[in-house]
Amino acid sequence: MEHVYPNGVKALDGVSLRIGEGEVVAIMGENGAGKTTLLKHLNGLLKPTRGRVIVDGKDTREATVAELSRKVGIVFQNAEDMFFSGSVWEETEFALRNFGFSEDVISKRVEWALRFMELWDYRSKSPFMLSGGEKKRLALAVILAWSPEIIVLDEPTIGQDQLQKEKMIEVIRLLNTQGKTVILSSHDIEFVAELRPRIILMSGGRIVGDGRAEDILTNMSLLESCRLIPPQIVQLTSRLGFMGIRAKLASPEDVAKEIAERIRV
Amino acid sequence: MSALLQGLQFHPGKTIIHRLDPRVKLVISILLLATTLMYLEVTVITLVIVVEALIAYAARVVGRWARTVYGAAPLIALVFLMNYTANVFMMGEAFSVEGLYRAFAAAYRLVALLAAFSIFFLTTTPEELGMALTKLKVPYIYTFAFISAIRFAPVLAQELQSILDAQRSRGLELDKGGPLTRARRYIPVLVPLLVSVLRRSYELAEAMEVKCFGAKKERTYLKTLRLGRRDYAALSLAISLFTLAAYIRVMVPIELP
Repeated sequence: MEHVYPNGVKALDGVSLRIGEGEVVAIMGENGAGKTTLLKHLNGLLKPTRGRVIVDGKDTREATVAELSRKVGIVFQNAEDMFFSGSVWEETEFALRNFGFSEDVISKRVEWALRFMELWDYRSKSPFMLSGGEKKRLALAVILAWSPEIIVLDEPTIGQDQLQKEKMIEVIRLLNTQGKTVILSSHDIEFVAELRPRIILMSGGRIVGDGRAEDILTNMSLLESCRLIPPQIVQLTSRLGFMGIRAKLASPEDVAKEIAERIRV
Repeated sequence: MSALLQGLQFHPGKTIIHRLDPRVKLVISILLLATTLMYLEVTVITLVIVVEALIAYAARVVGRWARTVYGAAPLIALVFLMNYTANVFMMGEAFSVEGLYRAFAAAYRLVALLAAFSIFFLTTTPEELGMALTKLKVPYIYTFAFISAIRFAPVLAQELQSILDAQRSRGLELDKGGPLTRARRYIPVLVPLLVSVLRRSYELAEAMEVKCFGAKKERTYLKTLRLGRRDYAALSLAISLFTLAAYIRVMVPIELP
């Protein structure tokens, strides 16, 4: 499919892909590659100007954003764009009320989401008083509360410290074991390297690479064409060709073991 | 709405119109405005719009200029409707073709007015505008407030869009229900927007203080404005055309449709 913005910019140019149930997918590419535009098509905020987007068997042009959002929860980059309530609890309730859940389901879901994202103690605080990391967590809790089957994260690691990034990976893995499909956009290569999802590489509104993290992140020329620097571990192993080690995406421990073995021989 | 804002945003270029002194451009815009206010005849207003179109053509901004006018269509329709209903219902005027015509002319006038200022903003950088206002003895604090308001308009439009996206993704449906519920539905959009505006203004104030805003009363500029031969020519052309228009208005009693 294709998307041309009203000002004539062609943000997506012949994108064709299929994402299966329960997959973890990272969309990577430099700024302006079309990542966010693609994500906004998933719940119908944007409709393709050519081609079709089918979510769970339904054409996005024939459904409202509210209907699609029940299935596809998008967490946007800037958490503050969504806060307007007096308390963290009310903020989390908002979407559940829009979707017409019953009162007891609402209170159960809100409690679950706030506990899951470790925000329970802040439930009566104002969302605006939270720290940057907490705001980001609340943004995620707000979406998780209605338990959409597909969770979309737009740049989840921007402005997050290392600890928060590790937690984010944990959360994504946990959601995935619960059977959720997780689609995220990022240019944080170390984060994606640790998550090891299916990677879709985008450049200039087109998909230029699609495959396992192990394959994409070791393809130096492909990464370079998208202005991405390979993960440190790949950079290291790619220089160890003289000891017979191939460029690979592996844990530092595994690489250390392999080096130690070669030295022993 | 965004189309309307786009038409008020500077569009870089090197045409004669772009290089005119901003004060001259301001005077021309005001003269065009005055001409439209003098006449309520559709033919004259059309003539003014034609002149404006020629200027826009010379500045190579016809597309953007036309889009501004197009983007203002709902506003203009509203003016027409209000004008007409006010005449008929409040003044007790009977329905007449003439009444319709007058309401149309009033709305049409707005097109000419908006179009004149659209050309001005499309071809004048905020800096030039600031310099022009300073030369006209407007205190710099007000000038600065004015140009930052212009500059922030597109940023704000973008911010509004991302807030709308975020809230619609949470199941907010703005166009559902009666007028009162609808108004209440805007709270989740207006609160984040207000917060963001306040935050931005604090940030701007801090950035200004860091750069010693207001440390010296007299402000100097890298570029100074000076009226050239071209500016005088444009100015005298504009003034003579305006005088002609005013003369015809007062002295020549002709009936125009």
